[in-house]
Amino acid sequence: MTTTRIGLRQRLGPAREFLRGHQSLSITFGMAIAAVVLPLIVLIPPFNGFGTQKDFVGGFADAGVFVLLAIGLNVVVGLAGLLDLGYAAFFAIGAYTMAYGASGYSGLDTPFWIMIVVGAFVAAVFGLLLGAPTLRLRGDYLAIVTLGFGEIVPLVFLNADTYTNGTNGITGIAQPSLYGLAGINGFGFTNPWPYYITVLLIITIATMLVYRLQDSRLGRAWVALREDELAAASMGINTVSTKLLAFAIGASTAGLAGVFYSAKLASITPQQFEFQVSFTALAMVVLGGMGNTWGVILGAFIVYEIQSQGLHQLDAFAKSLHAPPISLGPITLDLSTINFINYQYLLFGLALVLMMLLRPEGLFPSRRRREELHEAAAEVEATAADAVSQT
Amino acid sequence: MAIDFGRWRGPIVVAGFLLAAYALMVVSAGAQAQDQFINALTIGAVYALIALGYTMVYGIIELINFAHGEIFMCGSFVSWWLLTTLGFTGAIGDPLVLGGVLVLTFITAMVVMGIVGVVIERVAYRPLRNAPRLAPLITAIGMSFILQNIVFVTISNSIVTIPQILPNTALTFGPIAIRQINLFVIVLALGLMVALQVFVRRTTLGRAMRSTAMDREAAQLMGVDINSTIALTFFIGSALAGAAGVVQGLYFGVTHFQIGFQAGLKAFTAAVLGGIGNTTGAAIGGFVIGFIEVLASSFGYGRWSEAAVFGTLILVLIFRPTGILGQQLADRA
Amino acid sequence: MRFTKLAVFGMGAVIAFGACSGAASPGASGGGGIAVKIGIELPMTGGEAPNGVPTANGVQLAVQDIQVPGFTVTISQQDDAVNGKHDATQGAKNMSTLVNDSQVLFVVGPYNSSVAQAEIPVSNAAGLMQCSPANTAVQLTKPWGSAKPTDLRKTNPDKIAYVRVATTDDNQGSGMADIAYNTIGAKSVYVLDDTQTYGKGLADAFTNTFTKFGGTLLKRDGVSDKTTDFTSYVTTAKGLNPAVVAYGGVTTSGLGLFRKQMAAQGLQTIPFVGGDGIVDGSFATASSFLQIAGDGDTNSYGTVAAIHDIPDAAAFATKYKAKFNTDPGSYSAPGYACTQIFLQALKAVGSGVTDLGQLREKIRAYVADSGNKYDTVLGSFNFDKDGDTSQHVISYYKFDPTKKDWAYFKQRDFTADPVK
Repeated sequence: MTTTRIGLRQRLGPAREFLRGHQSLSITFGMAIAAVVLPLIVLIPPFNGFGTQKDFVGGFADAGVFVLLAIGLNVVVGLAGLLDLGYAAFFAIGAYTMAYGASGYSGLDTPFWIMIVVGAFVAAVFGLLLGAPTLRLRGDYLAIVTLGFGEIVPLVFLNADTYTNGTNGITGIAQPSLYGLAGINGFGFTNPWPYYITVLLIITIATMLVYRLQDSRLGRAWVALREDELAAASMGINTVSTKLLAFAIGASTAGLAGVFYSAKLASITPQQFEFQVSFTALAMVVLGGMGNTWGVILGAFIVYEIQSQGLHQLDAFAKSLHAPPISLGPITLDLSTINFINYQYLLFGLALVLMMLLRPEGLFPSRRRREELHEAAAEVEATAADAVSQT
Repeated sequence: MAIDFGRWRGPIVVAGFLLAAYALMVVSAGAQAQDQFINALTIGAVYALIALGYTMVYGIIELINFAHGEIFMCGSFVSWWLLTTLGFTGAIGDPLVLGGVLVLTFITAMVVMGIVGVVIERVAYRPLRNAPRLAPLITAIGMSFILQNIVFVTISNSIVTIPQILPNTALTFGPIAIRQINLFVIVLALGLMVALQVFVRRTTLGRAMRSTAMDREAAQLMGVDINSTIALTFFIGSALAGAAGVVQGLYFGVTHFQIGFQAGLKAFTAAVLGGIGNTTGAAIGGFVIGFIEVLASSFGYGRWSEAAVFGTLILVLIFRPTGILGQQLADRA
Repeated sequence: MRFTKLAVFGMGAVIAFGACSGAASPGASGGGGIAVKIGIELPMTGGEAPNGVPTANGVQLAVQDIQVPGFTVTISQQDDAVNGKHDATQGAKNMSTLVNDSQVLFVVGPYNSSVAQAEIPVSNAAGLMQCSPANTAVQLTKPWGSAKPTDLRKTNPDKIAYVRVATTDDNQGSGMADIAYNTIGAKSVYVLDDTQTYGKGLADAFTNTFTKFGGTLLKRDGVSDKTTDFTSYVTTAKGLNPAVVAYGGVTTSGLGLFRKQMAAQGLQTIPFVGGDGIVDGSFATASSFLQIAGDGDTNSYGTVAAIHDIPDAAAFATKYKAKFNTDPGSYSAPGYACTQIFLQALKAVGSGVTDLGQLREKIRAYVADSGNKYDTVLGSFNFDKDGDTSQHVISYYKFDPTKKDWAYFKQRDFTADPVK
């Protein structure tokens, strides 16, 4: 098992070296392959029975929103080690920025391509405003402040109805347009392809930026901070501004996702940005592997597909079996009456707990993070051993 | 501060706060000020009971136990199960039977939820005690969703009616008119809080809890069994949340699988407000939250009451992270 | 291959129609004919299943009852509930799935207005007619406040692809005001809403009509839909001493709770008026308003945004019970009516057309044409140029203490009613 893995590594060695040296290139290359391969999934059984290619591509474009959220949350949680539980708030701010920038409600029609930048910027500003006073606090206080912020933002959009149209939300949000450039003008409600390509482009750029940052001075400061804040501070790292940058970058990515989300859906209400969104994004990051952007992208994609497709298919499959109810003493197990879709958040909760207990580095771990987390586990064992030897 | 209020500082702050709150009630609700005051005290008592568990757990292992709000929710479902199984549908007239059923319900809910709390600590938090701080926080969020969704898939996805066994009688004490249920809830909560204080300050186990909170390693060296002390803390904290769950049923007569999240967050705000780790502070914080909510509604800004509570949380953390009473280290437990 | 196809179409259908197989349920047994589908887009799981499932059953029943020669109609079932709650993103996605399936010619749904806001742009762009059995928010079809329905129809502003058989909240709010002012004779009111789309819209409409009648609004409050503590609002009501209390909301957002806590503070003598969120079953129905409110049931009034005097109401209920072994839900008949409209359109324009895309557009145009009249289980009506039903009848209900259930007492037609 181990030997074959090493063998494979050695064989791929030069290629790996090259890809590591040319990260942006390999990201582009990887995303391009994904872009081509994903729509072909629909040709393979049993997926060909789950819907048309358009359904799949549209679903992937929606998944892209969560992939973006996970990439951004990973910067905050995975790279800088700050727990942000109100991440959906920045998503909401991005979405509403788009709605103000281009909709019948505001009467403006700013191009989507400008709004992407504006949305990311506005979300980052809110990130700074929230982060500046609170990032001085200890880490778990930050978790609770962000949780409170995540509750307040949708409440403000809901109740300040003079400025937000309240509970009815904002409709008629403009869709992206290419203004007939190169004869293409395909954004519409019935054609998911342009959205699919756009979101892949945004993800590619975001991933490149995150990798660049990770390898920069700032990225190394994040690692130092995450591993030992006191040591990092004494080495001359400005802990507050380092954390603040992570927070703002995370927020701006959520803002991006929000702009794309509201332009694709064309209608938003405050109820779409409640705690479940933050929780789902966190589950994606934890499952994918905190700190590893590729892992998180995969984690987000898998979790989203399980939630939007997998459980429905499982449900239909269980029912199509027509299995007779199994009697286990007082409990009767009847597959046809179990509604698997209802188990979604129970599964996410179990996944979070089990991952943290058994494989805290996630399914696709970053090497560095794994070492850190296992170092801690080794410490636990050591202290346990100490305790035993003491008694 | 120039004047040293000394040991009277706490009572003076509390009395001043209550007076100010009452004055605001008079301004906003006029003749209804007294009723609104009682409403605030009652809901505040519920938040205080939940906040105690939050603050005790934080005090001893520095973990925000996000699953704590769900313990409160599960406690209400335990009381629903017990009361409906016993066949009650409404108020119980016979005071002896009523007393017996009340004691039975509270003990059952408190013991069951206490055990649940201990099990959660053993399974989900203890293995991570020395892991990076992020790990147990994520586990706690996960536990919260697990508890919530177990109730969602196995019991009910909607509002569940709990028999209100306390007769709905109004009592008058001179100028004060109060419904029996309100008086019961306030007295019960205060009683449990006093009992907790006595336990923490006067008993050996309580001393073990305080010493563990202060310095775990030193306590261990002095012969305190850390694991069982932490388990005990979880038991007591969860039992108090279980009691709050029973109160939810008695007072409102309903429960729902999602009431734990918001209640937990409000109670946490209360704990932060009172100075996290400080049990007296958490109790006071619970009442403060009750007053903020009721005042918002009484002034006609009811739709903003939650935003006001969470806004308070953020402001306190930014400007006075040690809470109104401060983090009295010697008092932490 | 067969299995996987079954799996898709059966996604949610099976949840609803427990007994039938996981396949798209065969309707018209005309044998052969062109295979076409009717889509169902409703919340089918979790806490909102009680809304979606009986409605979907209505569609199922109609498809089985009514045959269209030359066509075999089957159902494509979608569920917009995520974690037990309706979800606008999921709704838009489901609508795209239905649009992408060329056999789908018509969709029944959605149930919630916020889902409709996300779906209308999609169905409008694709020219796929959808019929909501339950949406009552005014802004989906007519300008209301700052919201314009043309914002939802950006792709084809003049092409109506959304109709509804339920009448709008402004009529229902007027019905509530009519009960409060004329039936009860109240001159002053305390109004609450749950800050959600339906509840707030209804409370707005109620207040509007009630003050036009000449009544006085004492105070208007909003309460979070997540709280269970209404005691401070009850105390406010006590201080105001209104002749009636009106609440815009649904049972799950606290309608019953509020009334229960009113009773606890001795205010059950003040009459209480709610919209169709309140008329959701008898005292014996789990989680219904009447069960939760308990002592507060007395003096409670409710409206339903549908006609009560249906010629074949009893026959429909019997037929429904025979098939599903339970009484029809509030929106079973509207679901049935939407399906009747589709089948009538298919009969009228379908003969000879083999191109499904063309057929989809023909059906859309037929239903959007306000000249066409439908005889449905809800009575006879047509759609106006915005897609609203011409039937503006609101039914009034009052709590009956002896039966411990709602009792119908009156209905009023608000078509061109001067109070609006």
